[in-house]
Amino acid sequence: MVRLITHNLLACHVKGCTSNNFPLEFKDVQVVLRESEFNPDFLRGFIPKIEWSALIGAARELGDTSLPDQLPEMLDDDFLKTLHHVLLEIHVEEGIMVCPNCKHNYPISNGIPNMLLAEHEIG
Amino acid sequence: MPSYLFVFAQSHSEFRLPELESIAELYGFTLSVPGDCDPSRPFMILQLDLEEHARLLASRCILIKYIYEFHAQGKDYEELHVANKANRHLWLPYAHDTSFKFLVTAYNHKIPESRQREVVESFNYMGFVGKIDLKTPQIILGCFEEYDSSSGLAVTRHDRDGRFRQAYFGRLVVEGSARALIKTFDVKKRLYYGNTSMEAEVSLLMANQAMASSSKLVYDPFCGTGSMAYPIAHFGAQVFGSDIDGRQMRGKVGKDQPPGVLRAAKQYGVADRIVDLCTFDVTRNPWRCGNLFDTIVTDPPYGVRAGAKRLGRKKELSEVQKTANIEHQLSARNKLEPYIPPTKPYELSLLAADLVVLSRYLLKPGGRLVFFLPTVNEQYEEVDIQSMLCDGMVLVANSLQGFGSWGRRLVTIRKTTDDSYPPPSFEEERNLGERVPAHKDFREQYFRGFKKEAIDDAAV
Repeated sequence: MVRLITHNLLACHVKGCTSNNFPLEFKDVQVVLRESEFNPDFLRGFIPKIEWSALIGAARELGDTSLPDQLPEMLDDDFLKTLHHVLLEIHVEEGIMVCPNCKHNYPISNGIPNMLLAEHEIG
Repeated sequence: MPSYLFVFAQSHSEFRLPELESIAELYGFTLSVPGDCDPSRPFMILQLDLEEHARLLASRCILIKYIYEFHAQGKDYEELHVANKANRHLWLPYAHDTSFKFLVTAYNHKIPESRQREVVESFNYMGFVGKIDLKTPQIILGCFEEYDSSSGLAVTRHDRDGRFRQAYFGRLVVEGSARALIKTFDVKKRLYYGNTSMEAEVSLLMANQAMASSSKLVYDPFCGTGSMAYPIAHFGAQVFGSDIDGRQMRGKVGKDQPPGVLRAAKQYGVADRIVDLCTFDVTRNPWRCGNLFDTIVTDPPYGVRAGAKRLGRKKELSEVQKTANIEHQLSARNKLEPYIPPTKPYELSLLAADLVVLSRYLLKPGGRLVFFLPTVNEQYEEVDIQSMLCDGMVLVANSLQGFGSWGRRLVTIRKTTDDSYPPPSFEEERNLGERVPAHKDFREQYFRGFKKEAIDDAAV
């Protein structure tokens, strides 16, 4: 936790910050790898939701280059296992997610990101 | 379609049919409920295409005690035996060389042993000549007498005996195995829980309404101590949780320990299905897009033990205060003393209406929203639920768990539209219709003892 599947779904939501607010950039992260059960049906269902370039970018930021630049057309088991690892087995335990647009810092502590906005950010 | 006799646990009668229908839908088979079926009674005769379907239901439905192949029923034994003889094709194949056991039992009553024997003997015409085996019989035949409740009646057990409302007879197909999960998820044995944790049986019922299964993605926007996440993950789904109060999800632990919700999830062997836990206010949420989740399932805080909160202040600050406040927020802070934004109460009828619109945005087409709504029983009207719905969201089930003057309703809503809708505005000042729903300001009503608003006697 924070896994890259989650990172792929979270955008900055500060009031008025509506463009270039995704993906959030990782900073000062501590990463832990944890094995988890492989669920190909779940992955196949989730693939249409993935912002592929954001996923590739985040994975490379964290030192994982196993995924191709483009989502392949053939979703074979080898590919799904790689995707499984990147989406679900890389956990960011500590660090900050920074909005590329407004620079809001979302801190991650003990695996839980704090996405609360400050009073002046909710409008 | 063959008929099956369902024997239910006594509690949560309004949840019986919705649970069966949800699990039948999950596995994609038809469950046929006769028009005169009375779900308040613990015996129901329902139709299924295959015995295998009965086994699937018994493996998942928390409220099923047994499912029998239905042979006969009657208001007395004469009627029952006539019907049973007409259905001899169902039991004749077992008459010659199948070991068996015969059970005679009653609901709301205890049948004396002598009459139990009489009842067994009255079935002699069936000609069962196989071995009677009480320990490992090949089949179990069951005869159930259903009595009305004896509470408040001045009759002895002896006088009541035999004066049942209906008797049923059949062959046991399967025992309900899901009821054992109530013990597995017992809150008292959980490594992490809080005073708002949902009891195990009801959280399992919610997981079934949610049709939780492997390959699904489920979201709980008021995750709290994670009560909903455990049974849902147990049934194979991946779960996201969020809460405005991170302390609920973490518990009082230091950095060296995982958050409380994850420790409890580990106890149940489902930690890796808790995808992530996030701290945010659902009315100010960071979800990048809609159409994400198969199910949204939640027990929103309604104020008896903890009220729902959203970001903001009850009273607006003056300009001077605002400026000072922003400076204060931006000043350097360490990790032990993070900035905590102010919160204000989130009124329940607004929350419920928002939840439906939010779910229409976040759910995939066909997805379900399952949540508890507390309500004042005397003032409740069906329109309270109907008026929460919006285009593309259809009510599937509405089951009351009563606590006397109040109760909570488990509401199940399905997204029936393929169209994309925008996220809700979460506006606070808006008109929810003319009628004040019974759940409005539930917390205040609860602490007033559900009396009508006190007349201001100072003014009199």
